[in-house]
Amino acid sequence: MNSQRFMIIPFISFLAACTSTTVVLLPDSDGNVGQVEMITDSGTTVLNKAYESSEAEKQKLSSTPNVLLSKEIVRDKYGDILAKEPLIPEHFKFYFKTGKADLQAEAQEMLLKSKARIEERKSCDLSVIGHTDRVENDDLNYLLSMVRAANVAKALVDLGIPLNCMDIRYYGESYPVIPTLDDVAEPLNRRVEIEIR
Amino acid sequence: MIRWGTLTVRQGAGRIILLTLLLFSSEGFSSTERIGLVKTLEPSATIVRKGVEVSLKVGSEIYEGDTILTDSDGTIGITFSDGSMLTAGSSSKVIIDNYLFNLTEKKLTFLSQVLKGSVTFMSGAINKLAPGSVRFKTPTATLGLRGTKIIIEVD
Repeated sequence: MNSQRFMIIPFISFLAACTSTTVVLLPDSDGNVGQVEMITDSGTTVLNKAYESSEAEKQKLSSTPNVLLSKEIVRDKYGDILAKEPLIPEHFKFYFKTGKADLQAEAQEMLLKSKARIEERKSCDLSVIGHTDRVENDDLNYLLSMVRAANVAKALVDLGIPLNCMDIRYYGESYPVIPTLDDVAEPLNRRVEIEIR
Repeated sequence: MIRWGTLTVRQGAGRIILLTLLLFSSEGFSSTERIGLVKTLEPSATIVRKGVEVSLKVGSEIYEGDTILTDSDGTIGITFSDGSMLTAGSSSKVIIDNYLFNLTEKKLTFLSQVLKGSVTFMSGAINKLAPGSVRFKTPTATLGLRGTKIIIEVD
């Protein structure tokens, strides 16, 4: 048994020495490119261009320069895994009158579109998320965002979407699309968003 | 138990009229809440949760602390509650160490380890609202994300 252990230890350390990490930065579904900070034994490198790639090998003291790959190379090399990604989440928005939580007339068309997408995606993984603008105080807006979200959720349930497929979230005035001063009415912030995952 | 209602607010003098109040139970934000769902799976994958290996199917729930394992021909795609997506290719081992998506208390964290194999990750709301709070550790690097999509490959 002892002689076998002697054989295994050098083999394991050989594997560890060969460990490397490759990172490739890709544009997101909207074409936006963010950035990745890569911290290794040899320092920190930042990737911020589409298809930029960097490699970190174990116990390497000098850093390797980043490489700019092409879309085609990435597709050839990582096509298999990229083909298995889940569908990108989709969003539908509903807008409200100041201080009101009832759905507007145009909401019906958006509800039917949402229902169609939920069914096409066979999704049982939805969030209904309520928000307000900054007219009125925080506490009231929190309640208002809740009722807005609940009304949209109920409309979906009325169309046959199971309640157990959705969660209802509400954040009052905390997460505006357009930041404003307090007590400012902003129609784009008075909204409920459906996220279909 | 859910009771639906409407709420009307009259503005102007600051007087408020509450017509009907709505009551429903909130799920709360406990650590046992699911953080994601399996969306794609070929042909199989497993997770190790609290020391027990469980096989997955499309629709299976993912929890904080789960270790995701694929074999030599497996792939799995997961969508998280913040809308981010993680896909693991063949012979992969990924641990979701810490996932916090609590907008009410503004607690946003997403820390994972890719120990072997390949992963693609597309950012969701956690990254959008708290840039830099999504991090991946590998045996040779720590990666901090700000928006975007990445591929990570560990050989």
